[in-house]
Amino acid sequence: VLVLTRRANQSIVIGGDITVTVLEVRGDQVRIGIDAPKSVTVHREEVWVELSQANKAAASPTPEALEQLKDLRPAPPAEGDS
Amino acid sequence: MPDAPDLPVLTFRRGLVGFDGPQRFHLVRWGGDDSPFSVLQSLDDPDLAFVVVPPQVFFADYEPEIDDEAAAQLGVSSAEDLLLLVIVHLADDPRDATANLLGPLVVNTRSLEGTQAVLSPERWPSRRPLAAAAVAA
Repeated sequence: VLVLTRRANQSIVIGGDITVTVLEVRGDQVRIGIDAPKSVTVHREEVWVELSQANKAAASPTPEALEQLKDLRPAPPAEGDS
Repeated sequence: MPDAPDLPVLTFRRGLVGFDGPQRFHLVRWGGDDSPFSVLQSLDDPDLAFVVVPPQVFFADYEPEIDDEAAAQLGVSSAEDLLLLVIVHLADDPRDATANLLGPLVVNTRSLEGTQAVLSPERWPSRRPLAAAAVAA
């Protein structure tokens, strides 16, 4: 792991077309600005991990699980709903 | 999975989160004539499939904001060209089925290109139970 020390308003450049700038440091929080091409996705790691795990858990359901789809239907709207 | 050569091919150039690399899919209706569900079957990996459903069928309150970047990446200029699907996670018990509202699939119905959007986890859970909104007939 490369470790660099930066101050607020200082940046690092990754691969020539990605710039990461430290915008503000306050206590244990750091605001970071990321300038990257549209082809590069940027996500908070915990969100990416959660989504990755959810996708993997849902992937490739068994034939038995697919059978459930014959019976699973949205509930009819409750009375009074339009 | 039956052969369905006449179905349109959806292309996810970036794959899905956790499934990197381009993936092409068939979208196959599944579960009977009145079923809202479909199976997204990978054409590149025969073992990879996802159950998907239009979210409004189960979650009337679901109004994800697809950011401009995702829309631009798909070349979508009008909401009419967008098909929104959420991935369903089936468990052993149908009452434990959940839908992933955090990462909806967004498809440009003109170009048939799709991507998985990443929304705010504070607002949209990755495992919202279908049970509250579903009946097992």
